[in-house]
Amino acid sequence: MSEMLRAPAEVKYADELDYLESVDTGAKPYSWRLSPRMVRLFVLGSERADGLDREIPQKWFGDRSFVERSIVTLASDRGLLLIGDPGTGKSWLAELLSAAICRNSTLVVQGTAGTTEDHIKYSWNVSMVIAKGQSRESMIPSPIMTAMEQGVIGRFEELTRSTSDVQDALISILSEKYVSIPELNDDNIVFAKPGFSIIATANSRDRGVNDLSSALKRRFNFVRIPVVTNKRSEAEIVRFRTEELLRRHHVELEVPPTLLDILLQSFADLRAAATSATSDDEKLESALSTAEQIGVLEDAILHSQFFGDRTLRAGTLAGSLVGSLARRSPEDLAILNKYLHAVVEPRAKQDGGEWNDFLDGGRQTIAALS
Amino acid sequence: MTAPTTADPAVSAAAPAASTDVGAFAALREQLTDAAAAFAGGPDALADILTGIVDDVDRALGERLEIFPVCHHSPASALAMVRRLRQKQPRVIYLELCEDLQPVLTELRNCRLPVAVQAFASELDGFPAAWAPLSVIAPVTEASAEYQAIAYALETPGVELVLVDRSTDHVFQWSPRDESPTSEESTVDGADDQAALHGDAVGVEIGDLRPRFAELEAYLLHHGKVRHWSEWWDSYVERPLATADHDTYRQVMVLIGSLFRRLRPSSSERTDRDEDRERYMWTRIRQHLAATGADPADCLYVCGAFHAASRVEQFGLDSPAPDFDITARTATRWQYGLIPSSHSAIEAQFGLAPGSVSIAAATWSKAVSVSGVTPYRLGGQRGATGRKRRGKPEAVPVGPVTDRLSGFLAAPPTPDGLDEAELRRWCVDIVRLARRNGYLASTADAIAVFETSILLAGLRNRARPTPYDFADAAVTCIEKDVVPGRRDVRRLCEILLGGDRIGQVGYDALPPLARDVLHRLEPLGLDLEKRTVQRALLDLQGSPELAGCSDLLWMLRHLLPPGAVRPIMGERRLGHRSIQESWDLALGRHQRALIELGYEGVTVEQVLEQRLRRAAHGPEATAVSALTAVEDAITLLNSPRLVEELGARAVELLAGERTVDDAPDVLRRIRRLLAHHQATAPKLPAWCEAFVTTGYAHYCTLLPTAFVDQETGVRQVGAMLGFLFSLESLALSLGCDRSQLELAVGQSHPEAPPKVALLWAAHHQLGMLPLTQLRQRCRELLSNPLVVPAFPQYLSGFVHALEPVPGLTPFVVETMSTAFARLPDPVLLPWLPNLITALREHGPELVPLLVREAGRTFPGTLSTLDSWVPPWSGTAPAATPVVRQRPVGQVHGLLSDNREPVDAVAALLGVEGGWQSPDDGAPNSAAAALAQAHPRSAEAIGMVLRLP
Repeated sequence: MSEMLRAPAEVKYADELDYLESVDTGAKPYSWRLSPRMVRLFVLGSERADGLDREIPQKWFGDRSFVERSIVTLASDRGLLLIGDPGTGKSWLAELLSAAICRNSTLVVQGTAGTTEDHIKYSWNVSMVIAKGQSRESMIPSPIMTAMEQGVIGRFEELTRSTSDVQDALISILSEKYVSIPELNDDNIVFAKPGFSIIATANSRDRGVNDLSSALKRRFNFVRIPVVTNKRSEAEIVRFRTEELLRRHHVELEVPPTLLDILLQSFADLRAAATSATSDDEKLESALSTAEQIGVLEDAILHSQFFGDRTLRAGTLAGSLVGSLARRSPEDLAILNKYLHAVVEPRAKQDGGEWNDFLDGGRQTIAALS
Repeated sequence: MTAPTTADPAVSAAAPAASTDVGAFAALREQLTDAAAAFAGGPDALADILTGIVDDVDRALGERLEIFPVCHHSPASALAMVRRLRQKQPRVIYLELCEDLQPVLTELRNCRLPVAVQAFASELDGFPAAWAPLSVIAPVTEASAEYQAIAYALETPGVELVLVDRSTDHVFQWSPRDESPTSEESTVDGADDQAALHGDAVGVEIGDLRPRFAELEAYLLHHGKVRHWSEWWDSYVERPLATADHDTYRQVMVLIGSLFRRLRPSSSERTDRDEDRERYMWTRIRQHLAATGADPADCLYVCGAFHAASRVEQFGLDSPAPDFDITARTATRWQYGLIPSSHSAIEAQFGLAPGSVSIAAATWSKAVSVSGVTPYRLGGQRGATGRKRRGKPEAVPVGPVTDRLSGFLAAPPTPDGLDEAELRRWCVDIVRLARRNGYLASTADAIAVFETSILLAGLRNRARPTPYDFADAAVTCIEKDVVPGRRDVRRLCEILLGGDRIGQVGYDALPPLARDVLHRLEPLGLDLEKRTVQRALLDLQGSPELAGCSDLLWMLRHLLPPGAVRPIMGERRLGHRSIQESWDLALGRHQRALIELGYEGVTVEQVLEQRLRRAAHGPEATAVSALTAVEDAITLLNSPRLVEELGARAVELLAGERTVDDAPDVLRRIRRLLAHHQATAPKLPAWCEAFVTTGYAHYCTLLPTAFVDQETGVRQVGAMLGFLFSLESLALSLGCDRSQLELAVGQSHPEAPPKVALLWAAHHQLGMLPLTQLRQRCRELLSNPLVVPAFPQYLSGFVHALEPVPGLTPFVVETMSTAFARLPDPVLLPWLPNLITALREHGPELVPLLVREAGRTFPGTLSTLDSWVPPWSGTAPAATPVVRQRPVGQVHGLLSDNREPVDAVAALLGVEGGWQSPDDGAPNSAAAALAQAHPRSAEAIGMVLRLP
């Protein structure tokens, strides 16, 4: 684990999962390692009332019913499609659910424009085919097929980025629960074992690029994950994820609560501005998601650690915010400039303190980028 | 029983004297004290709270007068109430509801529930005027304990129902004066049609039971693993109590009431108000018992669980505390009635989760059929299918209090919820409903919803799925990335689980006005009590008997909110009545508005007359509002007496006005009214004459100030001049003096360019400024580079002058054309859009004048444009106004022969100037030179023309 840059959830939380498995007395569907209630507890954290000997921290922040609906979908006959804006934690939830249910969250197909049906079903090891002919040994199963064979959860990231014909390869997998291999004469059907299901994620901003067919939609239950707008939850998420990232980078640096407040407030302001904007040119290209906030904070922390005095300052945070969010040269910079002048400047005058540094830092970065 | 555990003197006075180790709840109390010690590490506030709760339960149950705690819209409460009423058969029921609403309750039998009992006051006495109108509503649903109590009391002979809560007048008396009174719960905010049924009334409810601060509620929701309060209540109280016996029910309800009572912000205004209400109720109960001598054992006190755990000093019949000092009501005259309500309106008003009241109604229906109890229903109620109760069970005396709480708190949840057949039916129905709403749902989805509901219930620690689990499952399985129709799956679930039921107030329970309206509209042959929009077609020529309906509809249109009655075809204005009309009528949907109209009078005519009088006599009344009222009185009421009265008031108001902001409206309306009267009557009414003469003097007086006042716009001054010039002949014939106007104009010295232009126009109209001079002035303005930028403003003044001086139209077209030709671009281009918007906004009636004149002036075809010469250019005859026709004829001869008297008359009229000699102008004229050069030709032409 120590040699992994980013350990998958089942490795990272192996202790917790072992513990939960040992105390779990609930009924488990199929070959699940944990009962649905324990899966929920693993994802949403434990409370005193749960009566556990050790505390299980919360790992995904959001409405409880989303998690519950996702879990029961996986226990049913249908696949789960998590849909939402970028950075809302869809993939993280998918990973946690896979890790809790089957201790394997790595059977992932990444949907892109270049994804082919082979990535979903199987492909062939050409040299082995030449040497030994087509057989099960010379076949390379896709992660989905592996999940079928093992009776575990397969994941399909960014389903709507892959083309419609590729997506439709999932239809037979989700309804018949087997994949036939016509190239083989014997042993030419791979049946899914109990416990197999698919968690797909889709970006709601990609709607219209490669729309799902009605047939495929029917085979998925949709759970829409909204952008977190509750400031308290958002602060929790940012703190949780940043701590994790800092641990990964072996950085020991304190994030002052006032700076966290400034970050959350500025994102809230920018989101409000984006909501009231009438054209795309008036809103930032960024989705302003929680993940984006984490990115900004991480960037600022790393900058302070390696190029600063190992103290996170408001100016650095502002620089990182401008640097991360200004993606289109004239438009985004103009919006951020307007934000600094119209919102931050009055606030700096009124509240003073860190907001002044934040304003200066932001201005300097904009000047450097312009 | 224990001694009181708090230092509150009120509690000390009211708490029963008891020792700590005896009583029904001793074991529970001890258990809770131990638990508090274990959790908090020692006896402290937690122990006080926990044992205090038990004390409250002990005390409420030990009271001689049986207290029946309820919660609003709780089927469990209603069910327990039915059972208790059947068992106890009380002779007197005390109910926590505003005492003055009692007479209206009998009218409930004419209604289809849910309806709301309403108290309404439009004329206030003793309250800030800004609060008007005051309205209090108390919604009544069938699945409520209070309805069961009311139905029992009204249907059982010899049973008395006594409402004991403070009157509606006190609701507002106890509201802080510096702010508007608001509902005890949240008010309707951005609600849709059904949710806005209650309007902006203040809501009161029996059995309001909810945590009083947000953190406690959030805590309960979080640990209860539910999303909103209604679901928490349903899961943790409603379902466990549905099958509970009477003692358990009472103890648990008082316990919850006490919990929320003890965990609330102390010394808030709301707390004080709640305690005052409790004092009020107990005082009223005691007074009633003393007056009637009723046996408390035969009585039942129905109140919210929160009040059952009261600790005020007046609590209990044996309390030695003196009665609460009840203040007298104010002189405000309250009207009472019933208005339709709906589940969504109740949810919106009291901050309940959408669909929760519908789910409660569904739960109630199911509970009634499962439990086998026969609920009470008011006889004759619409939609009621009540069966007559068989026999009369014997009243059972109340036994000693035993501890049911310990068992209830320790017992696991009883399996209750949907049975399999019901769930299956719902799954099939939701898929069918979804398909009808555009979803691609199939039987496979029904199966998936069924499976997911059961899995969700299991995950949420429920033996069977609840309606909330079912709704979540349906959303999970059917909702995809887009909602194809107007309603999403969650909304469809709400519809499926009972839907939004909308109540209706029956004909007999309507106020006389509403009944009269329905009666008078009967000839239309429509069922106006329906909630749909209905189209009425009135052929007034073919069916003259419908004229009365038409009159009534026009009055209702004036009085009711938009949408209640809407004319599609036909109009009614001064002097015009359509012979065919078509209307969209939605009186059933706007029943509340019609009922509230009924509080103001007995007939529509009476209410309209009152409203018109109020418009003319109110503190905000202006001459325009009075003239509008006059117009309405003519078109809608046709009452000369009222017209005369309102007209006289308009004169009074006009004379008293110190601003001329409304001058354009005044001019428009009085012109219309004068035209109407001149066309319909041989003589103008006295008020019209008075209005014209007063207006003439009034505007003459204000004219000089209006010209210089910066806040008075050009349009207003234009309208004043319009009044003065266009009604001048009438005013002069009625005895006004023209010199007044001339003086006023003479005293006017405006500085703003548009007003200067207006003044010039006025001078021109009065003959003080000939057109040539006016033109000259404009030419000078255009040639002066310093004032050119202001020229558009002059022009806009001239445009406004078209109203009082329509003869200036050719000149305005000329000036505008000159401006377009000569103004530099930096001045012209920014002005053009302003000109267009100003014309559109202020002078829509002036534009046709200008366009017509421009059409006459400019060439009609492109080909003639090149050779076209503007009539005002130097070469055109129109541009040489100096050439005058030489006056000829007998009149001229007579006048020129008697110059002295003519000069005297001219001097009197203020006209200066000398006599024109026959040779004047001739030497300068080109024609004269031509004639002189060719005398013979001239003579020949003269002969042809037969000139002398």
